[in-house]
Amino acid sequence: MSLAPETEPLIRLRGIQKYYGEYHALRGIDLDIRPGEFFSLLGPSGCGKTTLLRTIAGFEGVSEGTVTLGGQDMTRVPPNKRPTNMVFQSYAIFPHLSVAQNVGFGLRKRSDLNAAARQTMVEDALDMVGLDGYGSRGANALSGGQRQRVALARALVLRPKVLLLDEPLSALDKKMREQMQVELIRLQRQVGITFILVTHDQEEALVMSDRIAVMFEGEIAQLAEAEALYRRPIDRRVAEFIGTMNFLPASVSGDRVTVAGLGDMALSELQSTATTKGDTVAGFRPETATLLFEGQTTSDRVAEGTVSEVVYFGDMTYYDVTLEGCEQPVRISMRNVFGRPVLEIGTRARLAWSPGAVTLFRPGG
Amino acid sequence: MLRTYVIAFLIFLYAPIALLPIFAFNSGSVIAFPLDGFTTDWFAQLGQQTELHAALLNSLFVGVLASILSVLLGLAAARANVRYRFPGKTAAMGLIMVPLVLPEIIVATSLLVVIVRFFDWPLSLWSLIAAHVLICTPFAIAILNASFQALDPALEEASIDLGETRLSTFRLVTLPLVMPGIVAALLISFTISLDEFIIAFFLTGSDVTLPVYIWSTLRFPKLLPVIMALGTIMVVISILILTLAEWNRRRGLRRVGAKDTGGFL
Repeated sequence: MSLAPETEPLIRLRGIQKYYGEYHALRGIDLDIRPGEFFSLLGPSGCGKTTLLRTIAGFEGVSEGTVTLGGQDMTRVPPNKRPTNMVFQSYAIFPHLSVAQNVGFGLRKRSDLNAAARQTMVEDALDMVGLDGYGSRGANALSGGQRQRVALARALVLRPKVLLLDEPLSALDKKMREQMQVELIRLQRQVGITFILVTHDQEEALVMSDRIAVMFEGEIAQLAEAEALYRRPIDRRVAEFIGTMNFLPASVSGDRVTVAGLGDMALSELQSTATTKGDTVAGFRPETATLLFEGQTTSDRVAEGTVSEVVYFGDMTYYDVTLEGCEQPVRISMRNVFGRPVLEIGTRARLAWSPGAVTLFRPGG
Repeated sequence: MLRTYVIAFLIFLYAPIALLPIFAFNSGSVIAFPLDGFTTDWFAQLGQQTELHAALLNSLFVGVLASILSVLLGLAAARANVRYRFPGKTAAMGLIMVPLVLPEIIVATSLLVVIVRFFDWPLSLWSLIAAHVLICTPFAIAILNASFQALDPALEEASIDLGETRLSTFRLVTLPLVMPGIVAALLISFTISLDEFIIAFFLTGSDVTLPVYIWSTLRFPKLLPVIMALGTIMVVISILILTLAEWNRRRGLRRVGAKDTGGFL
């Protein structure tokens, strides 16, 4: 789309197939990752995202296909000869070494550096992750968050072309996780190294990444920037995995579509349309519709229904509304504005919605 | 009630062993109560028994070699068991562990038949070393299995990821972290070999080991107090070695920050 020439990808994966015996773990992965990008591989457990990361690192060989890093074919190159470094899910901090020895581990092979230069690099790396002065500590004396920082420093001190992060935040508690998300973004901007993050947490991927590849069953279902992924999910699986979406049975005939509970509209009015005919599925996000209060008017379309469930979240309230002509209730999220009452279960409700927020999916998938 | 039971049980277990030092320091040459008086003569006489010295050297030779070989085999088996999946693994590991419960008399008899009848080899300390490797290896595997299980496989991968080869990774990461397990396995294998009598009785030719020598001296009542002294020393050494082995194993678990999942003591 852009007129500027595309930057040469740093990582180029072509036709990657991976079998474990009968099990087909990766099914034809084609992927380009740009230099300096914060890239995420997102998907449920068992989707092949970690296998793909380990393929880039060199820990997993491929059954078919090629791995190119910085223009060089790395398909058969072992991990210790690749310009990639990894932050493991368990952090893999060497328990018999001090923090400084851990961080300096990869520098041992650098014959161009003397001891003083190595020490300076180790100290700079520890400083960068906020652990200055921790060098002489034993690895077992560290907290989870500190281990994570040591693992980051140990990898980044080698200035790899790519930093691979395998679910790095999954072992941390919620507060620490949010803090580390911000720190990882800051670190990535500071060092300018390409980060590839594997995660099953869609929120984490949306917050941190420039681009996200959503994987299911060994395939990339959709590759897009965070906003595009959220607004224009390519199929029902992606829409379900990223955020929440209401799905309603729909039926296409000619250039019009009828959606259960919402009614009839022109295909051209919809946000995005899968080319389809007959019975299909339409979806909209909970925050794209609002419940109207008594006397409130709107220029949007209105559907009638009954409140069947109310979930109060402090700043937000989730309403499940059963629309007329549709058994499955839809979920609506409303910001709680001061002074406005929360609707009760059983109340009649008018739902204001816009066709522009409705996405039509192919049936089934 | 439970307390009485435990005390009775402990007396049953340790009273015979407690008799060793009592008679080792008793000046009478007959092993019977009442005691005569205190002496260290029997310990002094140990120094003059040349046959005993030869047997002790034989035992040390067999023990050292058998424990080293057992631990080398155990290292390979435990690593394969913990790190890899291959067809028939469970069956193979099960069969390797069987000598742990196999009656030693069976092992001794069948080895004697194989060595003498089939191969027509002369009996020597080497045949005994082979047999001791057979019975010590399962112990070494059991201990080393725990060491490898406590070792996060990501540690070895991290080392390779940071530029080391498989070989240097083994030296820099794997070996230091399983070393306490190796030491424990060596000590326990050595103790088992040192104490083992039945197989040694069957398979040693003219070069006897310490337990076989002790058995042979029982025909000479005059030597009995000397054997008591020897026994006292061996009990003390055995306890020391086992304590050292266990202390080592626990230290190793602490080092990799793992939970204790068993062990022998």
